[in-house]
Amino acid sequence: MNDVTLYHWEPNANSGKPMLALMEKGVAFDSHYLDLLNFDQHRPEYLAINPQGTIPAMRHANRVLTESTAIMEYVNEAFTGPPLMPENPRDRWRVRWWMKFMDQWLAPSFSMIGWNVFVGPAVRSKDPDELKAAIERIPLPERRTAWRKAIYGLFREEELKESQRRVAVGIRMLEAALGEREWLASDRYSLADVNGFNLAYALPLSQPKLSNDELTPNILRWLRAIYARPTTKACWAMGRTAMVKRVAILEQQYIGKVPAS
Amino acid sequence: MSMTVYHGEPNGPSLTVLAALFETGLDAALVHIDLAKGQRHDLVFAQQPEVAMSVEGEGPVLVVDGEGMTDSVFIACYLDDVGKGGSLRPADPYARWEMMTWCRQLIERTAPAAAYLGLSARPPVGDAAVLAKIGSADLRARWRDAAAGLSSEDRLADSKTKIAQAVNKVEAQLDGREWLMGEFSIADLESYAWLAGMVGLVDSAFADRPRTAEWMHRVRLRPSVAKALSLARKPAPAACWAPGPEINRWG
Repeated sequence: MNDVTLYHWEPNANSGKPMLALMEKGVAFDSHYLDLLNFDQHRPEYLAINPQGTIPAMRHANRVLTESTAIMEYVNEAFTGPPLMPENPRDRWRVRWWMKFMDQWLAPSFSMIGWNVFVGPAVRSKDPDELKAAIERIPLPERRTAWRKAIYGLFREEELKESQRRVAVGIRMLEAALGEREWLASDRYSLADVNGFNLAYALPLSQPKLSNDELTPNILRWLRAIYARPTTKACWAMGRTAMVKRVAILEQQYIGKVPAS
Repeated sequence: MSMTVYHGEPNGPSLTVLAALFETGLDAALVHIDLAKGQRHDLVFAQQPEVAMSVEGEGPVLVVDGEGMTDSVFIACYLDDVGKGGSLRPADPYARWEMMTWCRQLIERTAPAAAYLGLSARPPVGDAAVLAKIGSADLRARWRDAAAGLSSEDRLADSKTKIAQAVNKVEAQLDGREWLMGEFSIADLESYAWLAGMVGLVDSAFADRPRTAEWMHRVRLRPSVAKALSLARKPAPAACWAPGPEINRWG
């Protein structure tokens, strides 16, 4: 048994952030997979660990930590291994700025689209009473609303349109930042890249009209460079769903523009 | 290295950054701007992405060697990094995680609620000239709605609940403690900065919360905070708001 246990879903979004950070630091951990689509995160056994029912959570020694980005900073500070924050204080600020921008502005828009096309349809076929009971068990009211919308397809058109607008703006910002620097927030690989990869690893598949080698060469260079790291490969190999296997798109050497239809 | 802080009235994020600066004893030029008139958007670095797209909305900007830095908690971390003390954050990684998580939940839940309530009590100047300067479309929409006095009853009620929850958390956290994280930290500054202006607006949240009341008093007495408050140009800085972070739109 390891000193660290990570409660996580797929190497994707919030779950993938501490998974990849731990692996980059070379920290061995017990993996406790929670099937988000089976509502494992709202069952009593997990609520005993994280009463808010959010994924991921990490146990280190006898302490439980939540909030994926804060967990990553903890992992970086609490363990030896390659530093995942830059030395320069202004670079550190930029790492945190980009992580917050992604966590609170960009990722929710990606997530809304993802829940509408992937999570909602994936659970919709379950027994209606079972789904209703599953929603009732969710501790946070915001998450209850989110699941209700995903399960019953209640996203309004203008909400989805706003998410798509933000995704387009975010892609332009990422491309510009990666045109200035090798990595997202500084000239070295950092938590901002770990965070960003979890958000954007399937970008050329999910947003082919906005992200490809012609339109966003720097994003593609960056994604391929992160995917080339052995830790990233090992991390994504822990995935079980077709969703995360989309990462294989990055094995293509050139992803051209989508022909106009 | 030359530093300049462009700040608004000492409330919300401007208060956090000013007080953090004074705590660290670093030298910086101070430039007062009226955030509620959109003056931040007139500055030469206003279109830098990390300024224009700050999740915090209309907060202060620290400019170091021409780079505009936003988001008060992270500016405070930066000042703590370059300052001599290293005293605004706990040194232990777990205690530091606690502080960063505390601040994260505050900026995600409490700050949008405070800005929403503050602005509905005192709407900003949002004429066409101001709106035209704002690069971020969603920040512009928040300005437009706030200036037009368009606040929804649901959001006002939910924001009051969020403030009450935050005060409950502060009250519980202060059990046997002088400061939120044990030692004084950025969490005290950021929590005070967003909650101080709520005292008059959400009275019920602060009723019968003796530890919170004493803590607020202690924060005000810190020389750094007192100095920041002394920079006010308006009689009640805690009533001065500008469009802040948005209320969670998803999840």
